Amino acid sequence: MAQSNLEKQLNILDYALSSLWRHRLKSLSVLLVFAAVIFLLASFQMVTQALSDKAKQVLTHTPEITLQKMSAGRQEAIPLAYRDKLAGIFGIRRVVPRIWGYYFDEVRLANSTVMGMAVDEMPEGNRLDAALAKGAMPGPDEQGRVVVGHSITKALDLAGRTTFSLFRPDLSLKPFEVSGEFSRDTDILTNDLIVMNLADARDLFSIPAGLVTDLCVYVANPKEIDTIAKKISETLPSVRVLTRPQIQKTYQVVFGWRSGFGSICLLSALAAFVILAWDKASGLSPEERREIAILKVLGWETSDILAVRFWESVIVSGLACLVGMTAAYIHVVYCAAALFRPVLMGWSVLRPDLHLLPRMAVGDILLIFAFTVIPYLAATVIPAWRSATVPADSALGG
Amino acid sequence: MLIELSGVSKIYNQGRANEVRALSDIDLTVEQGCMVCLKGPSGSGKSTLLAIIGCIFPPTSGRAAIAERQLARLPDRFLTLHRRETIGFIFQRFNILPELTVLENITLPLLPLGVPPKERRQRAQELLKRFGITHRAQFPAGQISGGELQRVAIARALINNQPIILADEPTAHLDTGLSREFMAIMLQLKEAGKTIVIASHDPLVFEHPAIDRTVTIKDGRIHVP
Ligand SMILES: Nc1ncnc2c1ncn2[C@@H]1O[C@H](COP(=O)(O)OP(=O)(O)OP(=O)(O)O)[C@@H](O)[C@H]1O
Ligand SMILES: [Mg+2]
Repeated sequence: MAQSNLEKQLNILDYALSSLWRHRLKSLSVLLVFAAVIFLLASFQMVTQALSDKAKQVLTHTPEITLQKMSAGRQEAIPLAYRDKLAGIFGIRRVVPRIWGYYFDEVRLANSTVMGMAVDEMPEGNRLDAALAKGAMPGPDEQGRVVVGHSITKALDLAGRTTFSLFRPDLSLKPFEVSGEFSRDTDILTNDLIVMNLADARDLFSIPAGLVTDLCVYVANPKEIDTIAKKISETLPSVRVLTRPQIQKTYQVVFGWRSGFGSICLLSALAAFVILAWDKASGLSPEERREIAILKVLGWETSDILAVRFWESVIVSGLACLVGMTAAYIHVVYCAAALFRPVLMGWSVLRPDLHLLPRMAVGDILLIFAFTVIPYLAATVIPAWRSATVPADSALGG
Repeated sequence: MLIELSGVSKIYNQGRANEVRALSDIDLTVEQGCMVCLKGPSGSGKSTLLAIIGCIFPPTSGRAAIAERQLARLPDRFLTLHRRETIGFIFQRFNILPELTVLENITLPLLPLGVPPKERRQRAQELLKRFGITHRAQFPAGQISGGELQRVAIARALINNQPIILADEPTAHLDTGLSREFMAIMLQLKEAGKTIVIASHDPLVFEHPAIDRTVTIKDGRIHVP
């Protein structure tokens, strides 16, 4: 009995396949539209997934609290002496100065971020060592040593060099030698980054002694970030206090990925229903009614006819999933999400040549599946119940 | 007794405004190997009676036993299961699906029975050979001649080796030549032991020597002249 039930399902599958083939033009167009929806959805999901991975990376390297001096709404240099005023605040582990700025590189025609850090003063876990592919971070005495990101290594490699010079504001040249490289995994953070010691950055940007760009505050207990930030604001009213949770929130708003993903999901579910509406709204065509009546009178049960519709839908949506997801993967990995480029460029944290490594979790695949295939299946098979209303005797003459 | 009806009535849409009494108090028995013709004017209830004999729906009242099974007791699903084991249908205009090939059309009743493809093909080939249309097996059914179509329809009614063959106005759209051929094939089937009921008001059918008995129906009742 089980054997013949399997044979029966195989026969019905066989019939569904040949039925799809007989209506191949219609099947193909439904398949294409459906695959396109899944392609968009999966691409979007892969990109946002990759982006939020990157964002997490950025955040782990961000100090818990960053202090910047504001004047007339603009950021300006902050006195190193402010460090002494913070000494009385309980819970602060360390305050580390930082000098950074943008440097327009005429060779690459792109901005580099120059970062002067007092690496030796930073807490162990925050020194960016983990981000290095080779070399070491420049120490306080290592003049002219830099660690650079991928886009700079690439430009230097092309020229076959490990040294380069940058202009000071007075147009005199300051030479540097590459002593380390960041790994590509940290591209979003380091792609165009040049890290040097504090003294070199001060020299390059001609920042007077006693001033830095910002102060990084590391706290002993992350739970106290907000309290400490508040105390700092009270102590130094003219200083902008940025906390990591705030930055995190900003990222979330920028990506808006959850809401974006949600709305795309809904849209595609809607699209699936539209495909279907177009497919089924007219109800059963006279040909379909006739086919159903004939099958019924020949001994097909209503459930057999439903099974035909079910297999047809499974085949179409399964193929659409396969095609759509494969295309999405190719699109994101090999074409760098070219279709979403205009959208991504608006997200300021993204560099133009960002290398995305999409991560497609089983959960995501299931989610996309749930939002597309299941509504499609439901919407195609449920109306097929109407076939139950076609009486077998309508196949009789008379 | 293969077909046994007593006091059978059928009312369509019972209790509603469009209620139609199609059959009243029909008594009819058909023994195995008999060929019976149901005759009568249009709207007299021939197709309805055929549908009851064919286990498509049970009678509204009365007793109908087809191949020793009481229809009234059977839920819809079992009607279907009983039908496909028992009844081979031949329809007016044959009700062949034109997009399917001849072979696919003939084997349609075997799919829900779970008959594997190889055996399906084998059984169909035998019938195609018997009716001399082997060369048409892979043709779309929409592209073959009327005579071939008729033989395809008969082959489909025989594919599961059902004991009862029912035909509703089979010759209504055939010329005399094809109608004669149809009856010749029916005669063969009768001689092979099939029980056959044909609804028709075509004299070529009810005057055919192979017909054992003609039952005349008028206004849903059996008419005794
Ligand atoms: N599904 C149905 N619903 C309602 N009434 C029906 C239905 N089928 C048939 N009837 C009615 O039942 C009566 C008998 O119809 P039936 O089709 O059995 O007659 P028939 O003898 O086969 O006629 P014909 O020679 O035209 O085929 C007719 O009045 C018909 O209108
Ligand atoms: Mg009729």
